[in-house]
Amino acid sequence: MQPVRLCVNGVEFDLVVHPLETLLRTLRDTLGFSGTKEGCGTGYCGACTVLVDGDAVNACLFLTVDADRKELVTIEGLAGADGQLHPVQAAFVENGGLQCGYCTPGMILSAASLLAATPDPSDDAIRAGLSGNLCRCTGYQSIVASVHDAAQRLRDSGRAGERPGPRARIRSRA
Amino acid sequence: MTAHIIGTARPRNDARAKVTGSALYTADVALADPLAAVVLRSPHAFARIKRIDITGAEAMPGVHAIVYAGNVSAKPLDFGIKDQHLFPIDCARYRGEAVAAIAAGTEADARAAANAIDIEYEPLTPVTSIEQALAPSAPLVHPDWRSYEHSGDRVLRDNVCGYNRIRRGDVDAALNRAARVVTSRFQFSAGLPGYLEPRAAIAHKGSDGTLTVWCGSQSPYSNRDEMAEFFDLDPAKVRFINQFVGGAFGGKILMAPEWYVAALAMRCDRPVRMAWSRHEDNLHAFPRHGGTATFTSGAAADGTMLAMRASFAFDTGAYIGYGSGAALIATMLASAPYRVPNVDLEATLVYTNKHVAGPVRAPGGPQSNFAKELHLDELARALGIEPLEFRLKNAWQDGDVSPAGQRLTSVSVSEVLRKAADAVGWGKPLAAGRGRGIGATWWFSSCGGSEARVEVRADGRVRVVSGNPEIGTGSAAQALPIIVADALGIDPSTVEIALADTGDRAADGGVHGSTSTFSAGQAAGAAASDARAQLLDRAESMLEARRDDLEVRDGAVFVIGDPESKATFAQLAAHGDGPVVGLGTAQEMSDPEFDTTLVQTHGFAAWPAASFTASAAEVEVDPETGRVDVVQLATAQDVGFAFNPAGVRGQIEGGAVQGLGWALTEGLHYHGASLRDPDFKHYLLPTAVDAPRITAVIVECPSVEGPRGMKGVGEPPVTTPAAAIGNAIRDACGAVPYETPMTPERVWRALNDDIRPL
Repeated sequence: MQPVRLCVNGVEFDLVVHPLETLLRTLRDTLGFSGTKEGCGTGYCGACTVLVDGDAVNACLFLTVDADRKELVTIEGLAGADGQLHPVQAAFVENGGLQCGYCTPGMILSAASLLAATPDPSDDAIRAGLSGNLCRCTGYQSIVASVHDAAQRLRDSGRAGERPGPRARIRSRA
Repeated sequence: MTAHIIGTARPRNDARAKVTGSALYTADVALADPLAAVVLRSPHAFARIKRIDITGAEAMPGVHAIVYAGNVSAKPLDFGIKDQHLFPIDCARYRGEAVAAIAAGTEADARAAANAIDIEYEPLTPVTSIEQALAPSAPLVHPDWRSYEHSGDRVLRDNVCGYNRIRRGDVDAALNRAARVVTSRFQFSAGLPGYLEPRAAIAHKGSDGTLTVWCGSQSPYSNRDEMAEFFDLDPAKVRFINQFVGGAFGGKILMAPEWYVAALAMRCDRPVRMAWSRHEDNLHAFPRHGGTATFTSGAAADGTMLAMRASFAFDTGAYIGYGSGAALIATMLASAPYRVPNVDLEATLVYTNKHVAGPVRAPGGPQSNFAKELHLDELARALGIEPLEFRLKNAWQDGDVSPAGQRLTSVSVSEVLRKAADAVGWGKPLAAGRGRGIGATWWFSSCGGSEARVEVRADGRVRVVSGNPEIGTGSAAQALPIIVADALGIDPSTVEIALADTGDRAADGGVHGSTSTFSAGQAAGAAASDARAQLLDRAESMLEARRDDLEVRDGAVFVIGDPESKATFAQLAAHGDGPVVGLGTAQEMSDPEFDTTLVQTHGFAAWPAASFTASAAEVEVDPETGRVDVVQLATAQDVGFAFNPAGVRGQIEGGAVQGLGWALTEGLHYHGASLRDPDFKHYLLPTAVDAPRITAVIVECPSVEGPRGMKGVGEPPVTTPAAAIGNAIRDACGAVPYETPMTPERVWRALNDDIRPL
């Protein structure tokens, strides 16, 4: 067992985990971030995508010990503290970028990561950037439209290129 | 504002919960102190179970209960034939079949106990293909089939569990008159529903004897009834509480983990939870039917269709599952939507030692349309007639009759064909290596009955309660709020929704058969009208005005022409005996008339509120590798009336890419009878890169039967893309495999005349 300090959505947690425990298990089972979904457990569907220091990763393939002292963002941490949706979330709502919603947390975090690096992506860049996230409901068209709209919203609000997730960091009581 | 609510695109009322991660799916439900449950599965495709001894496993640390054939009801499950038990009694009939389930304090303890169950198998020779199943002296998947109870007119024989036929006219005589006759043979792979949320379920038996099941079912009310009957419980003492469902596509109609957690919970005093991995989910999946088809058709020199003979065989796996529906639908689509005066259309349902096939979105639809439309293109080419022209010449028109003699109304076949073709630039010059193809179909609407309540509460908020599960289509979270808001003159985004819960006593037939908005929407509309009438009643007395002088808008009832004189919903809810509760129901819809002399053992021969759909595709084929790139895909679908256009577009676009997946990459691979790809590494769902630009064309040709003329929406869009893509491949390169999925290897072999089976 190994001690780790995770910063999830701006809150620090000190935990002791098995060295082979995945970030997916820690986030869902230990910390209760159930918005992180398990679709395949083997890295093919992207439903468990979270951000680690801004990079989109499959939480099912990422060891918790490798997240030690890093900043994690899950879907629960994307909206503002006042409940205001992040522009990517708002764009998915307005453009019908979701149906069953199971791929949605991972899809939105992948899109947020893509847009932080590429503020005005082409259709092809969006599709390539989201190719690790499977969606069985939408046929992707409304998702691509959502990401274009999100890019516009980020630019319009002067947030283009901004790293997603909370800025402040607080210590958990846990 | 009421005029602009129905028929306009609106965000879903569950969207905020889904983009913030607060929407709960079954595996997210946190109950205190749950037990972990696992399933023990047969390692053999076919084996006699000689002995199961659970005594050692029961004594293992942490184990609370083990259920297996020896200690649960021996009542058979019934899908037309009573051929299956909860756990197999004599033989395990497919690799992965559940033979026991275990509940323990931890999943590790449960797995250890599963491994400790002492079970002796005698392996038998499995039946791994339709061909083998139908061969003389084949091993019998069900040696005792003669003793099974089954519904009346079902045809049973060795390894055959169903047969149906539609026959009219004289096919042989008509073929003799034909200028051209062609015969084509097809094969289809089984395919997964491909929902992203693996199945999960939790059950708990309360101290008062009630059984509660938390799940993500497509049909919680009928599942509840089935479970109550199995365990000899009063249905009122069984409650199914549906959560958000991470996709279903027909794969969550038949119960699976729900059965095992319930059987275990009956013996435990703590909640029992089971959450499957993707691997296990795929092992237990109810796939789309694989099978074969042979078509022979003839036409006159001017392209007039004269006759068609079509014969399907579907592999329904170890038990009948949903085989009957797939076979019936395949025959109904085989010659449609075209005028063919002489037909002989049959389907045979075959047992093998493979996974039990299920009602995957439009069962039988993609298979039948793929075969029929590629066959018709072959015939058109033999006649030297352009494929779209050939279809338009033979397309059904208003007043035509279906193969089973149903008089057709509100027919839009020519319109959907033209609109799909136009959307991909049909007839315009093509780049080298590219081609276009088209295919069309008809489909049914269904209404199995639904109940709804619309509540106007003391705070003026409006809530719609329906038993229609929200599986992602937006039927409950998008269509119902639109319909209710329209009747009450409010903003749809303010209407609260409820996930299906049999404790709410708002029964619904479930999500299948393109029924949800048709049935639950009618019920919710009626309930909202009832609530509106009650609000007006109360307003008459409160405002001392006559009904004719009142209008309902913006969350209040106004005296017309006097904006100061109004009563808000909150005031009206407080003015009277408690909150306003409107009730509504949708009645079960009866089938249209047809000619019973034309059909044999066919339970689904006439379709109410029939709809029409066509897809057209443009593809590019690389002749060096056989790789197919779908450049664009268009679907024109006649939905009669679109209550919820954003939802309709979502169904068409999503269906297009599911259809594309089944056409090009998706197929279960068996090594003998063993599934080789129970994961998403080998079973390839289309990604954002594989999906083409999709054009969704909504056509509204109102039906006679549907509310405001609507027709069912959900299933048709998945049934036509493979047909269009296949024909486009042939248009691009002159050859096409008559086999799905049309992988690069198969396309290359078709191009190079190397068509031996893989």
